[in-house]
Amino acid sequence: MSGAANPVSPPDITITADPEKLAAFEQRIADGILIEPGDWMPDSYRTLMLRMAEHHANSEIIGALPEGEWITRAPSMLRKLALTAKVQDEVGHGQMLYRVSQELGKSRDDMLRDLVTGVTKYHNCFNYPCPTWADIAMVQWLIDGAAIMNQKTLADGAYGPYVRTMNRINMEEAFHFKSGEDMVLTLMSGTKGQKAMTQEAFDRWWPISLAFFGPADKPNCEELPPMKWRLKIERNDSLRRRFVNRFAPAAIDLGLIINVVTKNEQGFVTSAKPDEAIALDKSTGDWSFTQPDWDEFWRVIRGNGPCNAHRLALRRFSYDQGAWVRRAIGDGAVATPPAA
Amino acid sequence: MSKVRERTRSPEGDLPAPTPDAKQWVVYTQKREGAPFKWAGTVEAVDTELALQYAREHYGLDEACVGLITYEHGDSVDGEYSIGPLVPQKADGTDGDEWLVFTLAKRGGNHQTAGTVNAPDAATAINRGTAAFADGKACNIRVVLASDVHETTDEEMVIWRTHDMTYKLAKGYSKQVRSKWTRIRDNPAYEQYQKEDIETHF
Ligand SMILES: [Fe+2]
Ligand SMILES: [Fe+2]
Repeated sequence: MSGAANPVSPPDITITADPEKLAAFEQRIADGILIEPGDWMPDSYRTLMLRMAEHHANSEIIGALPEGEWITRAPSMLRKLALTAKVQDEVGHGQMLYRVSQELGKSRDDMLRDLVTGVTKYHNCFNYPCPTWADIAMVQWLIDGAAIMNQKTLADGAYGPYVRTMNRINMEEAFHFKSGEDMVLTLMSGTKGQKAMTQEAFDRWWPISLAFFGPADKPNCEELPPMKWRLKIERNDSLRRRFVNRFAPAAIDLGLIINVVTKNEQGFVTSAKPDEAIALDKSTGDWSFTQPDWDEFWRVIRGNGPCNAHRLALRRFSYDQGAWVRRAIGDGAVATPPAA
Repeated sequence: MSKVRERTRSPEGDLPAPTPDAKQWVVYTQKREGAPFKWAGTVEAVDTELALQYAREHYGLDEACVGLITYEHGDSVDGEYSIGPLVPQKADGTDGDEWLVFTLAKRGGNHQTAGTVNAPDAATAINRGTAAFADGKACNIRVVLASDVHETTDEEMVIWRTHDMTYKLAKGYSKQVRSKWTRIRDNPAYEQYQKEDIETHF
């Protein structure tokens, strides 16, 4: 599953750097030269980059939780192997992104503690439930698909360590997306029951996918640090448009109906009617669509989503359970088994 | 949802005491025999054995490879990161210990092994490494004392290569995705979709 970096534009920050150095730094970025460790950077750049990489890392490890729940119930051996590998990938992405963040000045333990105490956040889409196997298919198809779109742009960013990590991660995201596409194709070529289950999961995940990219950016976002410094590459609305252009026709061809839905507090659909805005504008090649419910988005991001408490509780549980292991190996009290 | 997970309640009270982060190890994987080792990522581990175990589990399973090496992050020394290619320089000499030399072709790219030099210290190793391997194509030289680099044995790697693992690669799904799509969309439409999959959208 995983990461958009920041679904919500970070707040404006004050830049307090030597103007001459800052001008040279910004010129480098404008010239397409990547920043590597050891290069001078404004403190605010470091702060923004850390915030972004840490949020992304948090999203990777929280994102593994809903899918991890389905490993034991995957419908075949192949799907079980693939889902296990995928969950392992996501946790690995977390490891790599925590490393990028550590280099920017925050310890891993501090990041894990801030995550479980709610000081930092993770991607909002993981606060929703996955009650059926078709939800797992939708997550891999739509959410990993959206994540690749976003991360491909991030791989075009300016911070070298994040860029090389993104390139490596994207290679694995391609597997997540393709296996998800295969799962959706399988379900939609299946029985009536499978198709109905898939439609219901699609109803749950389509609006979450649209909200994945975050609300519209400020009109002047190109002049603000995240985009000016190429931490963020493309506007949220532009990514969302590309996503709909890609996925709306695919969903329709698969026999899925794109609905506008209302949901209850548990994240389950209470009413659905076809989105009448869905149409291809032949002159632009763009599909029109109904925006997701942004009030719901803000409600969930503020902690009141169907699964916020559950996800954090499980993370906190793991952090507590792992404490003795970290202590034991940290003190060298427990050795690893000898090599065979 | 599994019942056990449903019953998970947030533990009450204070968090356990903070623990310092373990050592960082940098991992490089080798795609095939004789090829350079390329940067793969890092692992956090208290000692070499655990670092190699984690490296095999994480990066050794991400994609097919025949070997991997790791060293503690603090044991490597990077020369300057130039904007263009490093200017080759004359620096020969064969005294001192053996250092493994890595080159970086472009900023934001991945370091990979280039060869070894002998040198009495890291700065000299970087100079000799630049002379021997930069070749107008590297923007950074990284060196590590060869004795600080740890490698998996052939036996260890073979354990992970005993079954078909294409299920964890995107290309492992191409055939069935194509056959399922072409039941719904005609071939040209599918080809176009597939092309955009890689070129425009992803
Ligand atoms: Fe993923
Ligand atoms: Fe991921």
